[in-house]
Formats: sequence, C-alpha cells, structure tokens
Amino acid sequence: MSEETNVVYDDGAALVVRSDEELSQKLALMREAQKVFATFTQEQVDKIFFEAAMAANKARIPLAKMAVEETGMGCVEDKVIKNHYASEYIYNAYKNTKTCGVIEEDPVAGIKKIAEPIGVIGAVIPTTNPTSTAIFKCLIALKTRNAIMISPHPRAKKCTAEAARIVNDAAVAAGAPEHLIGWIEALSLENTQTLMAESDIILATGGPGMVKAAYSSGTPALGVGAGNTPVIIDSTADVRMAVNSIIHSKTFDNGMICASEQSVTVLDDVYDEARAEFERRGCYFLKGEELDKVRKTIIINGRLNARIVGQRAATIAEMAGVEVPRSTKILIGEVESVDISEEFAHEKLSPVLAMYRAATFDEAIAKAERLVADGGYGHTSSLYIDTRETEKMAKHAAAMKTCRILINTPSSQGGIGDLYNFHLAPSLTLGCGSWGGNSVSENVGVKHLINIKTVAERRENMLWYRVPEKVYFKKDCMPVALDELGTIMGKKRAFIVTDSFLYKSGFTKQIESKLDAMGIAHACFYDVAPDPTLQCAQQGVAQIRSFEPDTIIAVGGGSAMDAAKIMWLMYEHPEAKFEDMAMDFMDIRKRIYTYPEMGQKCYFVAIPTSSGTGSEVTPFAIITDAETGIKWPLADYQLLPNMAIVDTNNMMTQPKGLTSASGVDVLTHALEAYVSIMASDYTDGLALRAGKLVFKYLARAYDDPNDLEARDHMANASCLAGMAFANAFLGVNHSMAHKLGAFHHIAHGWANAVILTRVMRYNAAERPTKMGTFSQYQYPHAKARYAEFGRYCGFTGANDDEVFENFIAGIEELKAHVGVKPTIRDFGVDEQYFLDTLDEMSEQAFNDQCTGANPRYPLISEIKELYLDAYYDRPASSYED
Amino acid sequence: MKLPKDKQVIVERHNKIVYDCGDTVVKVFNGNKPAADIFAEATKVARADQAGINVPELVEVSKAGVNWAISTKKVVGTTLREQLKANPEREDEILDQLIALELDVHAHKSPLMGRQKDKLTRMINAASDIIGEAQRYELLHSLEGMPNHSKLCHGDFVPSNIIVPEDGGAPVILDWAHATQGNGAADCAITYLHLKLNGEDEFAEKYLHRYCERQGCTVGYVQSWCSIVAAAELSRGRVHEQDFLLSWVDVVDWV
Repeated sequence: MSEETNVVYDDGAALVVRSDEELSQKLALMREAQKVFATFTQEQVDKIFFEAAMAANKARIPLAKMAVEETGMGCVEDKVIKNHYASEYIYNAYKNTKTCGVIEEDPVAGIKKIAEPIGVIGAVIPTTNPTSTAIFKCLIALKTRNAIMISPHPRAKKCTAEAARIVNDAAVAAGAPEHLIGWIEALSLENTQTLMAESDIILATGGPGMVKAAYSSGTPALGVGAGNTPVIIDSTADVRMAVNSIIHSKTFDNGMICASEQSVTVLDDVYDEARAEFERRGCYFLKGEELDKVRKTIIINGRLNARIVGQRAATIAEMAGVEVPRSTKILIGEVESVDISEEFAHEKLSPVLAMYRAATFDEAIAKAERLVADGGYGHTSSLYIDTRETEKMAKHAAAMKTCRILINTPSSQGGIGDLYNFHLAPSLTLGCGSWGGNSVSENVGVKHLINIKTVAERRENMLWYRVPEKVYFKKDCMPVALDELGTIMGKKRAFIVTDSFLYKSGFTKQIESKLDAMGIAHACFYDVAPDPTLQCAQQGVAQIRSFEPDTIIAVGGGSAMDAAKIMWLMYEHPEAKFEDMAMDFMDIRKRIYTYPEMGQKCYFVAIPTSSGTGSEVTPFAIITDAETGIKWPLADYQLLPNMAIVDTNNMMTQPKGLTSASGVDVLTHALEAYVSIMASDYTDGLALRAGKLVFKYLARAYDDPNDLEARDHMANASCLAGMAFANAFLGVNHSMAHKLGAFHHIAHGWANAVILTRVMRYNAAERPTKMGTFSQYQYPHAKARYAEFGRYCGFTGANDDEVFENFIAGIEELKAHVGVKPTIRDFGVDEQYFLDTLDEMSEQAFNDQCTGANPRYPLISEIKELYLDAYYDRPASSYED
Repeated sequence: MKLPKDKQVIVERHNKIVYDCGDTVVKVFNGNKPAADIFAEATKVARADQAGINVPELVEVSKAGVNWAISTKKVVGTTLREQLKANPEREDEILDQLIALELDVHAHKSPLMGRQKDKLTRMINAASDIIGEAQRYELLHSLEGMPNHSKLCHGDFVPSNIIVPEDGGAPVILDWAHATQGNGAADCAITYLHLKLNGEDEFAEKYLHRYCERQGCTVGYVQSWCSIVAAAELSRGRVHEQDFLLSWVDVVDWV
C-alpha cells in the first residue's frame, strides 16, 4: 500500500514501518526501548522534554509549510501558531509536572503516589492538525516515559512523520533511548488494527469509525472525535467583540479546528447589529439561489464534501458557482432549520457558517441543543453574554451536552486551552466524554498517560472518649447534684420521666421536693413500661410540648432513661425520622445520617435506680414501635445525658431478680467492652474495675439487699461499665441476648449471662473463621484479653489458657450464685418454638448493631450453633474454625 | 445445455446474454467469466430459495457450447419496473410493494451466504486505480466501523429485479449474483444509488425516506453507507458512472 511513497526518510533512531509484516516486529523493538526509558529519572526526562519541545518549536515554520503543501488544506501562518502552541504551551504547562516516581506523598496520612509509564502508545493522527498533533502527542509521551507509534493519516503522512522525526532526533540527542518514537508509512486497515491491538493505550483522534475501532480493540483507549460547536450571541453580549471573535476563530486555519464555530444563533434584538458587523468585517451573506448552491457543494449524502475542508471561503464559493470577493472571510447562510437535513446544520470544517435568529434566549438554547445533537455531542459550545447574566449562563451550561462551554471566547483557540483561559489545560486532543463515545471528558494531558500506583500504609483511626459532662456519685448525692439546676444553671421548669412503680412508691417525691424548694416548676410522666414504646414516648412528648420544660429528669432503670432520651429527641427535633436515625452503621463516624444537635431546648439529667444498664452515661436508646413491632436501636453521642446522678440510695430497694439480672449485665458490658475491636486504654481501665467490683460485690448485694457497701460498689460498677461500652461498644453476646429477649422474653441481663461463657470461648478462638475489621485490631487476641481481665479479677493459672478456664469457672459459679439458670431451655423456652425461630433469631443477631465491634466476625451458622449449645447444654466446642 | 433456436434475447450485458428459452430463462456468461463465479451465483439462488425467498426455480448449470450458463424456470409476468412505466399513477403503491419485499428479504437469514463487509472490502480494494490510497484508507475504516448485521441482502434490489407473476402468485425476486448477508441499510444505499444512477432522482429520494420510515432508522444512517457502496460500485469499471460515483466517494466524516 506504500507504493505511492517515494520519499524514504532517514529514520535514524526512529522506527519506520514500511509493510504490514513489519509492525509487530518494530513494536517489539519499541517495547525494549521503553523498558529502558521507564528507568529514567525526572531530571533526565525533563531534559529530553525540553530539548524535544525546543526542536519542534524551531521547526514550526517548515512543518507548517509541509502540512499545507501535502494536505492542500489550511493556512500556513495559522499552522505555525498551532506548531508553536504544541511545543511551547505544552512544555510550559508540564515543565514542572512530576511524572516519574513519587509524585505525591503525605507521610502523616501514610499515602504515596508513584507514577509509572503505560508502555507503548498507539497514536492516530488526523489530517487537520497533522504536525501540531504529532508534536503534542510525542511530547506528552516523552514526558511520561512512554514510547509512541504513530499512525498518520495518509493525506498527511509525510509531514506527520517529519514532525515525529524532529521530536525523536532531539530526544535521542538529549539522551533518550533510540526507538521510542516511530510511525507507520504503510498505512492500511490491517496495520491500524494491529497497532490498536498491540499497543498499551490508544490515543486516537479521528472519525467515528476510527474512534469506534479504538474502543472495540480491547486496548484501553483515549479516543476523541468530532464537534459541531453552536454559538449563541445573547442580547446582552458585546456584539462587536462577539462577531470579531467568531470571525477570528472560524477563519483560523480555514476553519479546520474541531472546536471551531459551526453555527451562530443571534437574539432578535441584536441580530441586525451582528449581521452588519459580520458584513463590515468581510463576511459574505449568501442570497437566494446561492444558498442552495453552497448547500449542494458542502454536503453530499449527508456527509461533508472532502474537497471543501480547510479551503478559503472564496475557493468554496467558486466550487459552488457563487461569485464572492476574493478576500471573503466566511460564507454565511442565514437558515432556519436546525435539523440535520439542513446542510448548514452540519459540521463544515471550513469557513462556512450557519446563522440563526432566535426570539428568546430559550429558543436560542433549544437550537444550540439540537445542533449539538446533530453531530457535536460532548465537544464544545460557546456563548457571548454579559457575565452578570448568571442565571442565563447557568441555564445554558445545564442545557449543553458539551464538555467545554466557552464564554465570550473564540472557540477554536479557546477550546484547546491556555490561550483565552489559563486554567483550561492546553491540549490538541479534546475529550468528549461518554456523550461523544469517549472515555475522557476533558482536555487530554500527561495525567492520562501514566499509571498511578498508590502506596497506602496502615493507619489507625482517631478514637475518642465521650461521657456526660457531669457524673455525680456517692450515697445521698442526688439533692446536692440537683441543687445545681437551680442555683448554678437557673433552670425554671423540669419534666420528670419515670415508671408508675417508682412514681407510686414515692421515688420522685424527693426530687419534686427539691425542685419545689428551688422554685423550679415541674411535671411528671410516669407511664413508662418495660421495653418502652414509641406510642408511650409520643404521649410523653405531648405533655413535654405543652409544659415546655428546660430540663428533663429521667428516673428509673434502662427503660425510663431510654424513653426519656427519645422524648428529649422528639421534643428538640420533631422532624427527625426514626428510620434514618436507626440505620445501622459500620463506623459511627462514617454513618450516613447526621444526628441533629441536642440540648438547645432541654438539659438532660439521668438518675438510675438499678445497677445494670449504664444508660445514664451511654449514647444508646432502644424504642419499639408497638404498631409495627419494629425496634429502633438509636446510637449517637447526641443522646448522651448531660448529667448522671448515681446515688446508691436509689438502688436499695432493687428486688433480688433485678439485682441478679442487672449485675450480670454489668459483667457482660465490661467483658465485651474489654475485648471489643474498639477497646482503648481509656475504656480498659473502666471495664477492668467494673468487672472486679462485680466479682467482689454482686454476690453480697444479692445475698443481702441492704448491704450498703455492696450496693454502692455495684452502682459504680454499672456506671463504669457504661462509660466503657459507651466508647468501646459491645459485641455478639449482646446481639444474641437482644434476640433472646425479643423472641423468648428472657430478662436482658440473664439473656446475656446464659450465653456469656460460651461466647467467651467462641471469641477466644485463636483461629477464628473471620476476625473483626478495624484498623487497630491487628490479630485475634481475645483469649489473652480475657485472661488479663481474669487475672485482674483475681483468677490465676500457669498460662492464659489456665487463667481463662479458671475465669470461666468463676463466672459460672457467680452466675449460679445469683440464680442465673444454666440453659436457655431452663428459662422455660419451648423447644419447638425455639427451633422454629432459630434461623430468624440467628440472622437478626448477626445483623444487630452490636455485632460490628465483636473481635470475631461471626457467621450466621456459628451464631445458630452457639444458640443450640446454650439451649441443650451441649458441651462447648473449641469454636476454632 | 442446448439452447433452442427460437430463443429470444432479453438483455445483453458486457459479460453475459440473457435468453428467453420458452419455459426457461438462460444466462449465458462470456468465456472469461470464471466457473467459480457461475457456480457461486447459482448457489446464491439456491441459498435464497432455502432461506424461504421466492426465487426463480433453478433448472441447470452447465455449459452452453463453450460458455457457462445458468438456466432457471421462466416466470411469466411483469417487473415492477415495467409496471412503474405503464402505470405512473400507481407509483406510491409500487414503491410500497418494493420496500415491503426488500424488508422481507432482510428479515430472512442465510448463514452460509458470503459476508457483505468482505465483499465491499474486496470491491473497494479492486478499485485502487480510481480511488487513491487516502480515500481507500478512510473508506475501509468507515466500513470497519459500521454495525455488523446478518440480514439476507440482495445487493441489487431494483424494480427491474422484481417480477409479479401473471397468474397472481407472489412476486419473484431475480438476480442473486450480488447477494450477501450483512447490513440492510447498506442494501438500501445500493438501491438508492442505482435509482440515482438511473436518473430517477425523485423516485430515489422518495424510496430512501420511505424505506427509513418503514425500517425505523434515520436517513443519515443509510447515507453513511453511500460513500462505501459508491466506492464498491467503482470497481465495476463503468466509465460513464465514474464521475458521479466519485462525487459520492469524496466525503469525510472527519479528517
């Protein structure tokens, strides 16, 4: 196919492909050269980039002449600008850009980005800008340490090759390996296909067939295509500047730039002014039959006549048989239709322009939209307007499916960047996005020709320790603490939330008397039932709204405190939705929903009357919608009470069952917080101390309800464990217990206790099926943590295993002492019902919010086995994987 | 085969003479036409028949004297071309019939038929003395980028190749020499081109627009095949068509 080529270039260090057979062979040579180039430093590369750009720049005039002579298209002086631009502007834009080795590093964040070359670029170069595009592509290839094999257009193969040769020779002289740049002289479909298949990335500028071939070759491609730039001149535009910008752009290289204006839509009120200015500056308005003559000349069967591309206006007029002055700048057809059946609506790649009139800005936009759809999807559009018309500009930008939207800018020179706006990257390859069937939507540059390796070092999350601002404790502290409400904070209206038992047994009296003494008005809602419902909270909040308190005082066990927290939330933020707030999170910091700010209306005081839940210091609350049966577990530090008052006086009347259940709950809180993947030095101390107090005082408090010392320490243990798990969170023991409570109504503390030692064995496995995911959790170490906990509580042994076994035995002993039944079955759970609900219960336990912090990531099947073991009292298995 | 003495010449072309032999129609090819081409043409008729198209019944492929000949059963009737000439007022109706028949052919498959793209590529390359390197390069890239279909395409679907039997039977489609499997829009572009070459501009435009409307494609889609089919047509070496065909070929999507 190369028989027409009679000029054989001195190819020197470049690779010239002269037959279909040679291409693969030469690509292999190129690949070898590129491997060496890939080891070059930034300094070496920058020197080569500099010398290559200088050489191309020096040759800008001969190359421009060659291009015009060979292709018979365009204008030498404008091609000189393009060559100048391709060398100087590209060099200037990327001279300081790091493209080799480490290009970005943040040691604190532990992140490093390393640039690597891609390999061999297969570059397809068009006829319109042969030398400048060749310079551009070769320079960005050199800057990124890639090799480049060029497939020129047959109409422009000599000048394209010459441009590549000049860049190559300069690069080699500056130290680049030989054979980095090559071109195909034997141009054929086969060679294009081989190039596309064998290169590492395709940089294709060409027609739809070429771009499609690039994308379907299977090789990653940066293929960019045609435009059909519509311009709008708004009523507010500087018409003289607009018209002359358009003439300047449309005549540039005889209209061959793909971003060049193809149509101009002028608003009615400035139409005559624009028309007169076009005429005054030498544009010719086609009249009557002349229009049709030009139509038939420029478009044949819906396609652009190759003979008019890049010709002068007068030459095209002559071809059409229309007489115009020789100096005519642009042939303008005043037409109406924007349909593709109108020849003037096409891309014309010549100084032929369509002109439309629009009554309104909206009509002008509609026309431009259609013209873009006619063949310019993704490319460029432009608008001349007073930039104070921000609303119009936004409307235009929203409507244009083009990747460059140029304002008051000649689009040929504007679209390629850095000439009329200095933040639009300079490029001769303009991406048209998915609209144009391209993979890039911006101006192609060096960043598209490197692979970036990101080296990310392991880092640990920032952790936290968050508790109520005030935690008051000690027997008889309540009235002293409450005094602050009046004397220091000046509160005026307090609303008490409690349950009917506590209310009737006079628990609230003491508080009310204190409030009365301070002149604080008060009201009380005492209908909180165990497992509080949304409906109950709604009743409460109705009363709160009419009372308008500045303080809420929650008195009671977990239920009263949880219900009060919900009422507080609903009172402060009636707009907040439970579905959103209850959405499970993986990491509380990254949760999708942001909780509203609390405390703008009310101060929240929590006074526990049992030693178990720790709710007075935790950011958690559970509420059940009685209508749907859905439980909303809420967790957010916005729900932390402002003041917790732990007064042992309030704990003295706990019945034995409550003392037992809430006591073992405290132990579970402490243990789960201690082995949690989020455990920290801040929570460890609290958890250990809470555990030790339980071992020392729970049996005493259980045996003798009036043992004040034991009650006092149990009250503190509960609160300490609460602060531990408010920050380290819990684990799968609680997940499973929640479902035993929900499905089989086992009291929460006992539901925890009945599975506790089995879950501990399960977590202690040294070879778990899966471990929990958290940066700071480095390897499965729950057994050592349990042993540490055991030792602190006074259990001994020769090694961790022995301590662990002794600790488990101690826990079992304590459980038995306080009346925790040994199996789930012993709690009166019907076997059939248990088995019927087991799968659902296991899946729900797996999905419980508490599961995420467990040191072992459980499988649903493992949870099910744990339940079965604890139901039938099966001997504990090793629970290793 | 032996041709009867009273045979009538129906048409004479540069490479063949078609005779009316009473019950049969015989195409006698001139001596330099390779045997492979003759058997290929006969095979295409057989394949179209197998695909379920109404074609003239194949009778014999053998030598008539020194030249190869294909004999098919004669269909007594008038071609759509003749009908158009005789009843210009029925133009719309005949056009509809033509398009309906063409779309029906496209709705058939013939998996063993040659590929349209291969044929067009061969023809474009065969016209290298008329079409320059750069143009061929562009044409072959355009062709390569066209959608690949496997519709049965006649390749010369013009009104003179459709014959409506006198007995009121279904129309029969003649001349399968250029049949391929491929893109229906290309087939339409060929019909359009032949109508234009025949000077029937107005009918050609009407045909093109109505075909696209019935097929549900854009006129631009069929037009995108025009330069390709015109280039292929150049390989036939008909000098008087050359300027017209070249004017269709010399277009660009992008340069």
